[in-house]
Amino acid sequence: MTRIVTLIVLSILATAALMQTMGCGETGSAQARAAQEVYVPPGEHDRYYAFLSGGQSGSVFVVGIPSGRLIREIPVFEPRAAYGYAVHPNDPRRRELESTGGAWGDTHHPAPSETNGVYDGRYLWINDLANGRLARVRLDVFETDRIVKIPNLQGAHGIAVVSPNTKYIGVNGEFEQPTDGLATNPAPYTSVVAFVDPESMQVKFEVRVNGNIDIADSSKDGRYFFSTVYNLEQGKDMGGMIQFDRDALAAIDIAAAEKAVAEGKAEVRNGVPIIDPANVPGVLTLIPVPKNPHGVNVTPDGRYAIASGKLSPTVTIVDIKTLKIVAEPEVGLGPLHTTFDDRGNAFTSLFLDSQVVKWNIDKAVEGASDYIVDRINVHYNIGHLQAAGGETMKPHGDFLLALNKLSKDQYLPVGPDMPEAQELIDISGEKMRMLAAFPTPPEPHDAVFMAASVLKSKVKQVFDVGADSIKEGAESVVRTGPNAVTVNMTMIRSAYTPETIEVREGDRVTFRMTNVETIRDMTHGFALPDHGLNVSLPPGATKEITIDTPKPGVYWFYCTNFCSALHLEMRGRLIVQPKDGPVKITDWRAGQNVAGMQVPGVPSTEKPNGR
Amino acid sequence: MAAKRRLFLAASVLVAAAAWLPYWGFLMSAPQYPDESLTLQVSHRGIEGDVQEVETLQQYIGVKFPEQLPELEWLPPALMALAAILLLGSLAGAGLGGRLLRWTGVVLFVALLATSAATVQRRLYDVGHDRDRSAPITAVRDFTPRLFGPTKVGNFTVWSFPHVGGLALVAAMTLALAGAGRKVRT
Repeated sequence: MTRIVTLIVLSILATAALMQTMGCGETGSAQARAAQEVYVPPGEHDRYYAFLSGGQSGSVFVVGIPSGRLIREIPVFEPRAAYGYAVHPNDPRRRELESTGGAWGDTHHPAPSETNGVYDGRYLWINDLANGRLARVRLDVFETDRIVKIPNLQGAHGIAVVSPNTKYIGVNGEFEQPTDGLATNPAPYTSVVAFVDPESMQVKFEVRVNGNIDIADSSKDGRYFFSTVYNLEQGKDMGGMIQFDRDALAAIDIAAAEKAVAEGKAEVRNGVPIIDPANVPGVLTLIPVPKNPHGVNVTPDGRYAIASGKLSPTVTIVDIKTLKIVAEPEVGLGPLHTTFDDRGNAFTSLFLDSQVVKWNIDKAVEGASDYIVDRINVHYNIGHLQAAGGETMKPHGDFLLALNKLSKDQYLPVGPDMPEAQELIDISGEKMRMLAAFPTPPEPHDAVFMAASVLKSKVKQVFDVGADSIKEGAESVVRTGPNAVTVNMTMIRSAYTPETIEVREGDRVTFRMTNVETIRDMTHGFALPDHGLNVSLPPGATKEITIDTPKPGVYWFYCTNFCSALHLEMRGRLIVQPKDGPVKITDWRAGQNVAGMQVPGVPSTEKPNGR
Repeated sequence: MAAKRRLFLAASVLVAAAAWLPYWGFLMSAPQYPDESLTLQVSHRGIEGDVQEVETLQQYIGVKFPEQLPELEWLPPALMALAAILLLGSLAGAGLGGRLLRWTGVVLFVALLATSAATVQRRLYDVGHDRDRSAPITAVRDFTPRLFGPTKVGNFTVWSFPHVGGLALVAAMTLALAGAGRKVRT
């Protein structure tokens, strides 16, 4: 008897020990495998660029996937001295910012340009929810090149490129406005979806929608623009916004809208034709979906639009041909957004469950009971999620990024505000596998992946000398008016030419500068103390900026982009002479002042003061 | 045509072509240029390639390209003259006069190549020694780049090698030597 008991106890212990060992071993090797999959050795490149919206940082973060390394920030709605972006009030981008709503923004949804339904690596558009703006980033230089205010709209939230060839960028207005445009009339409120031309960035037309227009996508053939709409009840507070059982998925027929504009059936306000679908049947179809839906995503094959329930544990699958609901399967608590692999599966983020759920689209449509394929926990409260190529007609089916709104205990505590986490998940197999987590500055909403092979060869690193370039040997300082001086400057390791510039107090000085370097990564900066000026010039680039010189003094301009062994020595002086002092105006290499620009009481010109 | 004549004809054509091709090449690599190298070629037109970038770098260690390269003015005519002698050698008969002509061509060829190599080496020595002593970086000592192969200069490895013209000359000399040394076929 004792022996039997001993044997039983021993066998239980042995089994437990074996399970323990196996369990530990599996965890250990799974982690090692995951680590290996995201490890990119020094000197090698990532497989994807991931563009993450920067939220209130007003920028776009570029992260390498699978390593999760932050490789670039593209400032958009906020000046960033580190890149010489929009720093000085006279910088053209800064002026564009100031004239359209201020030097901050809230970016949510990066949308790359498409050709034939896949990313072409030309542009990326990003919204500013806070100030109703849309910006375009040139992907050859990773720089913002246009910022426009969308008229008749507040709260530019969801945006999407109209597939397959980027005919428009659709921008959803989330915050409803008095329909007649007058603040004195509180009701009724409506919002608009704006359609923006990708090249000119002009708003071509807008379509009025009742309620709050949220997230957007387009059908793959470019026929429809889909938007989720909440608050059809037009409540003005939270309680009032959740009364109805059903809100809507809006489908705008783009060709019908264009026709209505061409036939003059739109009212023009602030230069933009606005179509009221009540007057033009066929432009807008509202498909009833459970109340307060959130994301809408079109499947890669273009068959279905999938609206995520948010408050309802379901996703609503709409057949795009008929605009009819074909299924409404339950997927879990708090479904927000859906993305896709290349094997007919959808991945939906579950905000409340803190999960990604993988489900089979065909099975869900057929009503099969086993449409749920897998679930994986994330840490914690996922918002957007995006699989590589998930918004294109050709998903890659390898990686998925879960963007978490709240993330506790993932990183060392850094004060009351916890870092937000992005989690990278392997979706290449039947089961999802967690690979890695990485933080970014606050706070990304959405992301898109672009294969390195699409973009790498398009990136421009050295600019060609153009007609506006200052050539070496042709530098000058020219007085162009009684209070105006133009400096034509070149820079190359490790000096500015000219290195000394003399002006008079109160002069308006225009710097035209060319970085005459010819090799990549030899960027020079031009920072001028006490004048709010820091410009960054890539090799071959020419930039112009005008400043005022209200205070006499000696100001050392210097190079802010590390360039060479003599980087610290790369500097020069702007000497601002007092108005009533012993004024000496030097024109450097100009030979003489421009005719008729003599300054009374001031010696006109001195000959070159050396190089 | 006898085999030796064909060898001399080939040598003559190669030398004439070489006169107008780049003679010598340099390839410079450094850690800050991970997947690219700077290149220079010396041809009858002078120094070509990444000249601006190399000059920008040179100023830090007080090195500069020679301002005058008179040898590049006399080299093409000298090579064309040599090509003419080799051509005559290919046309000349098997008698003593012909052999003398061919051997003269070979000797001149060797002398020309030796003089050129010595001149290049001298230029390379000057580049590494005739330096601006007030240059900013003092860490790089005087140096003499090798005529062939790698030389370390500061953070750069400078590879020196015969370019297509130089290779054509070496090939032509081999052909001429083979032709001159061959027994006359009767």
